[in-house]
Amino acid sequence: MATRPEPVKVLTVCGVGMGSSLMLRMTVEEVLKKMGVAAKVEATDVSSARGMKADVIVGQGMHTEEFEGRAPVVVGITNFMDKEYLEEQLTEAFQAQGWLD
Amino acid sequence: MTDDVVGGHLAARARRAASDWRDAVHQACSPLLEAGAISEDYPRRCVEMAEEHGPYFVLAPGIALAHARPEDGVASLGVAVVTLRDPVAFGHPDNDPVDVVFAFGSPDADQHIGLLSSLARHLIDGLADRLRAAEDDATAQQVLEEVRDDR
Repeated sequence: MATRPEPVKVLTVCGVGMGSSLMLRMTVEEVLKKMGVAAKVEATDVSSARGMKADVIVGQGMHTEEFEGRAPVVVGITNFMDKEYLEEQLTEAFQAQGWLD
Repeated sequence: MTDDVVGGHLAARARRAASDWRDAVHQACSPLLEAGAISEDYPRRCVEMAEEHGPYFVLAPGIALAHARPEDGVASLGVAVVTLRDPVAFGHPDNDPVDVVFAFGSPDADQHIGLLSSLARHLIDGLADRLRAAEDDATAQQVLEEVRDDR
């Protein structure tokens, strides 16, 4: 199993970095807590995110394409309230990285 | 306990008719404009943001959260919501049509964080459906006031 960053650095992104990304941050924090993963989650806008380093980037589906390859894990979500979907996506991606059993 | 009470202006309007998403955004903003929390430019900037970045503020099926930046004309923190009699399309690939439109303005990059976090929690907890069920403004206002309680 590869070493998982401790804490995992997560960026939630949206167009302006004030609304959707903040809502996403709430969901991501709850889901990672449930998964037992220590994380530092920061909400930001798409252009700032381009210059930032992160282990995980979560954004609305329409924003994540340009982030492919910029972080080990990139997840797009269309419904910020859909915690089950986010947990599924993160678990799968973390397992692929060897960050989870 | 004062620690659990979230500040800011809150305003709700129920079951309005909107001609399209731009009209819906303007209507969502209007109580904030009337309260002096935002400038006349702000609703127009919210629409421009959506045109520029795509309808990223359609957060979930049926729910939009319109906003622009603090420098676009925000005097004080506020969240307003309008529910629509007939849903409108925002051009979102998955979450259209929308019948609950929130608008918020924050005077800086930080003041809204408590209020929006609380809004997020209450939305996950079914706030949008409770707003949809409100038949008049007073009832919708009571429902929206839930977000002051940041559990």
